[in-house]
Amino acid sequence: MIHHDRPSRLNLVLALAVALFILAPVLVLVPMSFSASRSFEFPPRSFSLGHYAAYFQSDAWLSATANSLAIAAGCSVLTLLLSVPAAFALNRRQFRGQNLARALLLLPMLVPSIIMAISYYTLYAEIGLNQTYAGVLMAHAAGSIPLALIALSATVRGFDRNLERAAAICGATPWQGFRMVTLPLITPAIVIAGIFAFVHSFDEAVISLFIAGREVNTLPRRAFESIRLDADPVLSVVSTLTVVLVIFLFSAVSLLRRRAAMSR
Amino acid sequence: MSAALTGLRPEAAHRPRTRLRAVPTWLLIAPALLYMGVVFLLPLANTAWVSFSDPMPGLHNYIEVLTTPAYLRIYRNTTLMALLVTGICIVMAYPLALYIARAGGAVGAVLLAATGLSFWISFLVRTYAWTVILGSRGPVSQVARWMGYDPPPVLLFTSAASIIGMTHILLPFMVLSIYVVLARIDPVLLRAASGLGATRGQTFRQVVLPLSMPGIISGSLLVFVFCLGFYVTPALIGSPRDLMVASLIATQIEDLLAFGTASAMAMLLLGATLLMLAVYDRALGLANLMK
Repeated sequence: MIHHDRPSRLNLVLALAVALFILAPVLVLVPMSFSASRSFEFPPRSFSLGHYAAYFQSDAWLSATANSLAIAAGCSVLTLLLSVPAAFALNRRQFRGQNLARALLLLPMLVPSIIMAISYYTLYAEIGLNQTYAGVLMAHAAGSIPLALIALSATVRGFDRNLERAAAICGATPWQGFRMVTLPLITPAIVIAGIFAFVHSFDEAVISLFIAGREVNTLPRRAFESIRLDADPVLSVVSTLTVVLVIFLFSAVSLLRRRAAMSR
Repeated sequence: MSAALTGLRPEAAHRPRTRLRAVPTWLLIAPALLYMGVVFLLPLANTAWVSFSDPMPGLHNYIEVLTTPAYLRIYRNTTLMALLVTGICIVMAYPLALYIARAGGAVGAVLLAATGLSFWISFLVRTYAWTVILGSRGPVSQVARWMGYDPPPVLLFTSAASIIGMTHILLPFMVLSIYVVLARIDPVLLRAASGLGATRGQTFRQVVLPLSMPGIISGSLLVFVFCLGFYVTPALIGSPRDLMVASLIATQIEDLLAFGTASAMAMLLLGATLLMLAVYDRALGLANLMK
């Protein structure tokens, strides 16, 4: 008897072809960043570190990088302050209007960025928040709260509540129980949620394009203008460095997930 | 259980539940809801207001937006592009998801990681990569030249480039949606099918494909919704003659300062998005996204 629960050879070939398509940008960008030429020729004829030197000598690129890192870190903190308590309310308590609250807190993830971009631009123009760090930070956090809640929900709902009851029975106050039992159990999920918020803000381009202006030049904003206007080869360096950062964060999240799964 | 035996204070033994909850529920949820009210709903409400009041009160923005032939062509174009990208995503994602779900092992894990990683790399970085890949001196043109097409076909700044770029960005959503469903199929069902004499093709058509439909539907709705409002990729590598709705909205603000028109277009796009999400909620439950 032949079993068909193993994938066929054809399936493998098709899967590898699609995976090649998925990985194509990374496979092209990394060699491009070491190209010695200013043109977009691929594969490059000769290699150098010239584009890297140009990146580290460019005030415009470096300040855009610093802006993006600072805003992403701020977004991460603000998002956690709001979403950790909300995750407990949504997953561990019952209250009136719970489904509505959940929908409202998830929706910003699903509304197209262009709609939010022109909405912030129009409203901020009236209250003077365009081209300010605060304005960009607030808009980014609204978009990352849904992602943080998704990262937190399974852990907050899933861990063994008898551990908390045991702490209470042993005489711990609710605050002690939270700090000494609950918090250590959900720390990996909190770090993952913080990373999600960081990456969301670091990558956000459309809203920043409208509201950040020249005053708060973020990396995606500068990258957008560079693709549109001057095709600066330094962009391949920025892209490669971003990919390295993402691979690092992605591995961290995978490790934390494994640890969170073990503590359940 | 006596208090003496467990060494507990009696009230702790009787009321452990109340002692777990020092913070009232409203205090946990209120800050997040208040934040979304001010930073998410208020800007949207303001846009809705502008759509009915700028430059003068009334429905004229909506009438203009829904009757101008040039705009209608753009809505149709956007819908067709979104349908096309969704279709291509299904066809490309399925074999990959199927392989990852069935093969497991090292190859499956690497393919899953590659898909997840792609998810995380910024839209702009990936769009930029396509300007290199599809550019006149990029690898695709080189291969075309080598095969005898000289000059090679122009790819960049065409609708094809826009479709390739959007497909690349949205493909991971589809792969993961389908994979999640396929991974839950009990392998016993497949053995039963082959035990009853089904060929590989019959097993696929009559067992695997029907069981994976929820994944295909959920992935398709997500991809379609994201595609409708796509801005960055079509604006950067698409054809300037084939605008999508998001670029049209941006142009109204950036070039024409027509806030009323742009707001009306944004409200209609929001309406279409919410309609699709309501369908999704009916079919699969939006709250499942959080599980």
